[in-house]
Amino acid sequence: MIAAVREFANRFLGRGDATITVPSFDGALKPNQILESAETVLTCDAPEDLAIDGSNLFIADGRRLMCLSGGTASELRSFEQPISALCALPGGGLAVALGGREVRMYASPSAAQPSVTFTDAAFNAINALALASDNTLIATDGSTTSDVDDWARDLLELNRTGRVFKLHPGNKSVTRLAQGLGYAFGACAHGNAMLVSESWRHRLVLVQPGASPRIVLAHLPVYPSRLSKASSGGYWLTAFTARTQLVEFVLREPGYRRRMMAEIDPAYWVAPRLRSGRSFKEPMQGAHIKTMGVIKPWAPPRSYGLVIRLDADGQPLYSLHSRVDGINHGIVAAHEMGDDLVLIAKGPGRVLRLPLAGVAEEFRT
Amino acid sequence: MRDTITRLRYRYWPDHLLGEILSKRWTETAIPVILLLIVGFAFSRSIDNFLSPASLADTARQAGEIGFIALGLALVVIVGGIDLSVGSIFALTDFCALYLLDVAGWPVPAVVLATLFCGALLGAVNGILVGYLRLRAFITTLITLIIYRSAYDLLIQRYSNAIASAFPEIPSWDFIGAGSVFGIPTVALVYIVIAIFGHVFMTRLRPGWHITAIGGSRRSAYNSGIPVRRTIALCYVASGALTSIGALFFASRLGTVGGDIGVGLEVIVLTATVLGGITLGGGKGSVAKSAVGVLIVLLITNGLTTMNARGGVNRMALAGILLVAAMVDIRWQKNRTRIISKVYVAPTYHELPPPPPTEIGQGGPFEQNDKLRDVEAIGLGRIEAPEDVILDRHDNLYAGSRHGDIMRFLAPDYQTMEVFAHIGGQPLGMAFDREDNLYVCIGGMGLYRIRPDGAVEKATDETNRSMRSVNDDSRLRLADDLDITDDGLIFFSEATVRYEMDEWPIDGLEARGNGRIICYDTKTGTTRTELRGLKFPNGICVASDGQSILFAETFGCSIKRYWFAGPKKGRVEVVMDNLPGYPDNINLASDGNYWLALVGMRSPSLDLAWKMPGFRRRMAKRVPVDEWLFPNINTGCVVKFNEQGKIVESFWDLHGENHPMITSMREHRGHLYLGGILNNRIGRYKLDNADPNFVQYDKRWGKQS
Repeated sequence: MIAAVREFANRFLGRGDATITVPSFDGALKPNQILESAETVLTCDAPEDLAIDGSNLFIADGRRLMCLSGGTASELRSFEQPISALCALPGGGLAVALGGREVRMYASPSAAQPSVTFTDAAFNAINALALASDNTLIATDGSTTSDVDDWARDLLELNRTGRVFKLHPGNKSVTRLAQGLGYAFGACAHGNAMLVSESWRHRLVLVQPGASPRIVLAHLPVYPSRLSKASSGGYWLTAFTARTQLVEFVLREPGYRRRMMAEIDPAYWVAPRLRSGRSFKEPMQGAHIKTMGVIKPWAPPRSYGLVIRLDADGQPLYSLHSRVDGINHGIVAAHEMGDDLVLIAKGPGRVLRLPLAGVAEEFRT
Repeated sequence: MRDTITRLRYRYWPDHLLGEILSKRWTETAIPVILLLIVGFAFSRSIDNFLSPASLADTARQAGEIGFIALGLALVVIVGGIDLSVGSIFALTDFCALYLLDVAGWPVPAVVLATLFCGALLGAVNGILVGYLRLRAFITTLITLIIYRSAYDLLIQRYSNAIASAFPEIPSWDFIGAGSVFGIPTVALVYIVIAIFGHVFMTRLRPGWHITAIGGSRRSAYNSGIPVRRTIALCYVASGALTSIGALFFASRLGTVGGDIGVGLEVIVLTATVLGGITLGGGKGSVAKSAVGVLIVLLITNGLTTMNARGGVNRMALAGILLVAAMVDIRWQKNRTRIISKVYVAPTYHELPPPPPTEIGQGGPFEQNDKLRDVEAIGLGRIEAPEDVILDRHDNLYAGSRHGDIMRFLAPDYQTMEVFAHIGGQPLGMAFDREDNLYVCIGGMGLYRIRPDGAVEKATDETNRSMRSVNDDSRLRLADDLDITDDGLIFFSEATVRYEMDEWPIDGLEARGNGRIICYDTKTGTTRTELRGLKFPNGICVASDGQSILFAETFGCSIKRYWFAGPKKGRVEVVMDNLPGYPDNINLASDGNYWLALVGMRSPSLDLAWKMPGFRRRMAKRVPVDEWLFPNINTGCVVKFNEQGKIVESFWDLHGENHPMITSMREHRGHLYLGGILNNRIGRYKLDNADPNFVQYDKRWGKQS
């Protein structure tokens, strides 16, 4: 009863859960334009995920699996469904998730038949694969209702149905490590446990078998996505898009959300996106007005590019940005390859390479 | 169904009035007046004869006496102080009057003058201590309260018997206390006269303004050269003198010097002052508030007395009221602007049908193209915010700038830029008249005229005030675009009467018809509102028939026609509606059609929000302006339409790199010149198949030799 009264008061006064404040890009998240200086290695239609196997770089581009080695890209093979996640396996193998509903493990990227196939009925939107410390495969599944590409609907429906699965290649069984997450998107081994991005709750949690998730990093101004290990310890955390007060406000407006989803083309929803500024039918916010021919980089981001370097404890050290007036938005994957960081900017459909030499020193870490 | 209910709800319930009423200064007086009416009504129902003439006359006598003291206290409170010694001054001057009359046997006029002088003198003690020696008003007047009271006690011990035993039979003295003119007690008449003078003094005379200024901010008042110390001291003198007037009437009415005279009077008067709405912090207050406060307090005390409440209850009630009033006053003063800004924005229901398609491949008159890609930029980086552009008969190009200048680019190459005239406000729409005077709408200022030699004159900055508007809408807030008829009538649009120019997004958020079209007659110099309730009226163009104007409603996404002469005079007709964008300026084309700039394009998310006023109201409260859902004005286009409202041609710049925004366009000698209010350039586009000799004002007014 008291809770109901409090919730009503919060809604009326705009307090508590009804506040729409978004943390600012500050401290380790202080904005820069470093991602804009990254070199574009490949431009493709629908880059989705990366996997690195020694000197080979595998790129999931829609249904195609591309291999980039020595600066030339070639199509290795293609699948009947779009690839939704990739993961390099020890010993030269490759795991792929297809359409979010199926995970296949191949002994080698060009092997004709998969060595193991997982098709659990619970799979709906598998969006990332990662290796656990015991060489089993971890899969994050964003939602039980929305498809992999339909994540904006999942956000607007306020769903909290993300799950983390553990896939055992040995006995081909699947166990669920966690459920009820606000869109699980990306995982990385952290000791015996897994760091998992919980996008809709803007945080990173530690998932352990038999324990409830523990918060590692919360109150992010962005929606976190896939993670990878950094060679010098720590992690690279991508953020596929950023939060805005308008979206936070719309999330608290059930009437408007319902009608928007029912009546408006999803491309023009008030929702975060991987790219923006393509059409005048997209919602425009006050600070987006071009003045004297310039769009302000501090305008609220409908799309944004961000990679955060985390330390071994999952705390941010520094970050690489592409701001509102930039192009390299929608960073969904980042992996270290030699001395470079290879990234996927899904917004413009680019694979980027950023030399890491000097980057860490620039932030004095 | 749901939309219908929302539409009816917002059409018939005037949400916007609450904010407008609250932002009026008189609402602060209105609340005590309402309280007074409630109190009066309640007691008149529960007590017989509460409002009978005899009872009223009695109340009026008491109100007059206390009213004088309240006036003095109001003065002191407005100047930023407080006077607790009024009760003791009241007692002392009462004694002074009676002693001089009864014991010393002075004539009445001398008694009156001496009593007034005595009151002023007692007040002057406070004034010197607080004003010149800058002691704290509270502690100072508390001390004088005690000293004066002690003095009074000492005096009445000696003289009370002498005063009590005297019964002077002086008619003029009795008239002061008990007389009346046309049934109105003398004291009330004198009070009314002094109150009227006080009102004029506080609102119209320099010393009154000084008093308010000192109360508002003593330091600022000092810095602007107001004699702060003297003014404060004189306020205490006036408080003493006014108190002595009250005492005079009291003395002549009752003629006693009892021990409890004036005891607790300061609490009654203070309650009246605060209850009337005079802020204890100073700087705010009026005579009317003081009078209303006194009446409320008297009605309550008299009412309670009549109902046989005991003295303790009476005082407790007063103290309680004082506490509540002071609390309400402080909260209100602190939050007033916040409350007003929260309730002022009142979005309404605004429905537009789905817009016609604009996508390439979908066909239709608005299909996008890249015709404007090769627009040439004039004055790139040198001119800022040219909302409108215009060319004179000698091919020179004029445009406004956000620095408040009219800039001129000289023909033929438009490389030389000079300041043609400096006005000071943002120039918007422009038009030349027959004598080559340039008429300009200036946002926030009004309609201005620039002579060919560059001299600036104000044409008009006000129109007739409408009777049904709460806000004073006589001043022009956002004159936007204009055109001149053959008879010298200038029709110009005012986009909104509720917001300033920089607040245009709030008007877009409201989507209410806040705008109007006004006519200025150059022959008579009169200004009159022609049409109101328009949704951000913007571009105006006199139609080819010479009897009507075409005007654009930006947020209404429509073009309408208004007949100002001829058989259809006074009528408004829709020419085009449901445009896919927000129409801005309209101008004549060389082939007899019209050019129309679409400053921005509609987006489905805002179209939906316009149908949900509650959503927008909450957005206005919770979300900062920079993050609001806005009309998209980053992309626009130019279209040409004919007399029947059919689109003939459209011109787009797909990527908006050369010319991001288009608010106006002007055809001249085969070129189209483009203006944009947030641009740093003027665009120039070569038109195919256009009359290479077309000069708009040669065509309008005939070629000059």
